[in-house]
Amino acid sequence: MINLEPTHLESADTNLLDLANLTDEQTAFSIESLDLYYGEKQALKNVSMRIPKGQVTAFIGPSGCGKSTLLRCLNRMNDLIDNCNITGEIKLEQSNIFDRNVDVATLRRKVGMVFQRPNPFPKSIYENVVYGLRLQGIKDRRRLDQAVEESLRGAALWDEVKDRLHDNALGLSGGQQQRLVIARAIAIEPEVLLLDEPTSALDPISTLVIEELITELKKKFTVVIVTHNMQQAARVSDNTAFMYMGELIEYSDTNTLFTTPSKKQTEDYITGRYG
Amino acid sequence: MLLGMKKVGTNKVGTNTDGAGSMKKWTKSGSPMIWLTSGAVSVSLIAVLGLLGLIAWRGLVYFWPSTIYQFDVVNPHGQVEVVIGEVYETDMIPAQRLRENGHIISDDVEEVASLLVKTGNRELVELDFRWLLTTTIKSQQVLPNLAVFERNKNGNFYGTMSSVTVDGRKVTGDMDTLIETLDDSLERVETLQDQADSLQNDKINGLNFQLERLRLKERRFEIDNELTPDRAVDLKVQRKTLNDEYLLHEAQLFKFRSAMTRDFVTVKDMRGKFVNINLSNLLSFNLPNQMNVLTKAGHWFVNIGNFVMDDPREANTEGGVFPAIFGTIFMVMLMAVIVTPFGVVAAIYLHEYAKKGIVTKFIRIAVINLAGVPSVVYGVFGLGFFVYILGGSIDDLFYPEASPSPVFGSPGVLWSALTLAILTLPVVIVSTEEGLSRIPISLRQGSLALGATKAETLWKVVVPMASPAIMTGLILAVARAAGEVAPLMLVGVVKMAPTLPVDGNFPFFHLDRKFMHLGFHIYDVGFQSPNVEAARPLVFASSFLLVTVIVGLNMTAIRIRNILREKYRSLEH
Repeated sequence: MINLEPTHLESADTNLLDLANLTDEQTAFSIESLDLYYGEKQALKNVSMRIPKGQVTAFIGPSGCGKSTLLRCLNRMNDLIDNCNITGEIKLEQSNIFDRNVDVATLRRKVGMVFQRPNPFPKSIYENVVYGLRLQGIKDRRRLDQAVEESLRGAALWDEVKDRLHDNALGLSGGQQQRLVIARAIAIEPEVLLLDEPTSALDPISTLVIEELITELKKKFTVVIVTHNMQQAARVSDNTAFMYMGELIEYSDTNTLFTTPSKKQTEDYITGRYG
Repeated sequence: MLLGMKKVGTNKVGTNTDGAGSMKKWTKSGSPMIWLTSGAVSVSLIAVLGLLGLIAWRGLVYFWPSTIYQFDVVNPHGQVEVVIGEVYETDMIPAQRLRENGHIISDDVEEVASLLVKTGNRELVELDFRWLLTTTIKSQQVLPNLAVFERNKNGNFYGTMSSVTVDGRKVTGDMDTLIETLDDSLERVETLQDQADSLQNDKINGLNFQLERLRLKERRFEIDNELTPDRAVDLKVQRKTLNDEYLLHEAQLFKFRSAMTRDFVTVKDMRGKFVNINLSNLLSFNLPNQMNVLTKAGHWFVNIGNFVMDDPREANTEGGVFPAIFGTIFMVMLMAVIVTPFGVVAAIYLHEYAKKGIVTKFIRIAVINLAGVPSVVYGVFGLGFFVYILGGSIDDLFYPEASPSPVFGSPGVLWSALTLAILTLPVVIVSTEEGLSRIPISLRQGSLALGATKAETLWKVVVPMASPAIMTGLILAVARAAGEVAPLMLVGVVKMAPTLPVDGNFPFFHLDRKFMHLGFHIYDVGFQSPNVEAARPLVFASSFLLVTVIVGLNMTAIRIRNILREKYRSLEH
């Protein structure tokens, strides 16, 4: 499906990227001095960071710190909000996604997203998965069937639903629905997958399944995840960014951030002193 | 009433503090509220059921074959007179009033019953309904041989069959023989009638239609100055062929008609005179006094079937209401087809695209207020705009050959449907908007995140999910439109339409035609009828039918909505 398939040996190397000095080839997103306002209120303050390709990057921080807002900037979901103003730039493959001639639909095809609550369409499982492909005008039945199987396998859901692909997706359990939504997102073969607190509405077992899935997904996609569960960030991510009050406080590889944070605020947060 | 309540209140407080305490407790427990609310529900329920019950009873009882009585009545001149007929109604009249009018009634009587008797035989007596005071009735008999003859002119005929003349041969004998003979002859006439009808409907009407088209074609050529001699000759030849065919069918039709007039039945009426009824005028006959409940029930169903399926006769006071049912349903469906896309598209713009500012708010309020405009105002608008301006322009542009007679420039079913579509537009817009606002934002985001544009998201996810709400709007619209009469009187409804808006002639749907409507039919039969007594049961029957039709339309729409709801269930999670 996707050519980019780093082996285990390589991923061991890439885990130790120098986040401050990523080359353009290693970068998925390059965010530069991003400011975001909801009306008068500033939600993001001068955020600059580079998100590496082929790894899992987690945003953590207390509620209202702007981590979800930052994530939603990456596929311009904030466009839907009326009084949202953005300055600064985010580069995907060396081009600014806020550029006037960028087609939002094409951008979102490259940058998939999974939301906090499972939101399958009230259609069959099959139709949910092929929704994005049908939008692209693909009608070939065999290609669609193949994509459904691959995506559902990719989302670790195939074995559970292969006999009832044409049942209504709303009949699935919450965890299954969330995996279906992930399958739906990876069916259109995006480069990046944005996960906005994907397990906050799920039970512990479903959470575990999704977390295992994330480590699988990073073999094929760049994954950016927002979570307010620090254990989860520690378990699944390669790099972690800690945000507070709209500012990026600290950004480093996950191990370093959780064991030897360099900022006092980070240490306070991960040791549970506030948040 | 207010005073009374106050008094009770002070009494309670003044005399019995314990009582007041328990009263307060009772109030606090919430029971009064339950009693009040359930009382309100009961009253509404009784009102609705009472209304339906009354209409259904008065409407349906009309079809039950009623007993035919023979009364011996003393008339004011002291002579004894025979009256034969069905009892329609019984009324109590104060004896005092009758005494003042010169009737001799003993002093101990306070009220006298008076019977309304339908005596039929309209062409032979002054009135086919008579009030009979029970005091003047000397005797009353239920004779088994009394028969009622339903005719296609002049209403029912009551009397005793005396002979049947078949092909010039007079058949007499006992009643069973007569009935059998008459049944056979009537069957023959019915077969002929069916043949004549199908000839008329399939062939002759079609030929007339083609001839008219030919005339219009010629006129069109004349207007455009393209009537070359070749074309004129060609048209003439075509007309000749059609005319020849027409004459052939017409001769056949006359043959059927004259064959139908061969037999007649001779009936002795209540004056003792013998009257011949030609079988071509006879629709059916029966002897209700010989029927048991089961046969009566059978006749009841047949009568209802005829009422629903037949064309009206005798200025709508007899026969069926089929064209009115057809017109009502057709017009409502046409309206639904027009109003749904308009309302949905308008609601989508208002809810999804329009900026949420003062202008949008104003438009929304204006739309909601449109629902409160009296419907007759819409009728006036429809007449002024649709019929005169729009229809007139269409005629000028496309049908100059039909001038001076209008095609679309006169009231018709299309304009009625359009007028009602505007009338019901607010309902559809409001409920569609409500439906759109109920779609969770997460689903829109899910679609957008997969690379869908806003329009794709709308048509593939949002609108299908809002379809139950759209159907709710449509249900309300249909319910309102089906019962609306006032605007239709201006834009297309008529008392009697010769043809249905749908027939076998190309293009099959004739939207320029006028049509009949059950609501208007009720008004017409009830208030404009030359024969009030005869029409009254029909008013109830038609009302009941109108209610049935509307409920049927609504049930269909509700069923569709429930299927859609089931499909898009669990919106909230």
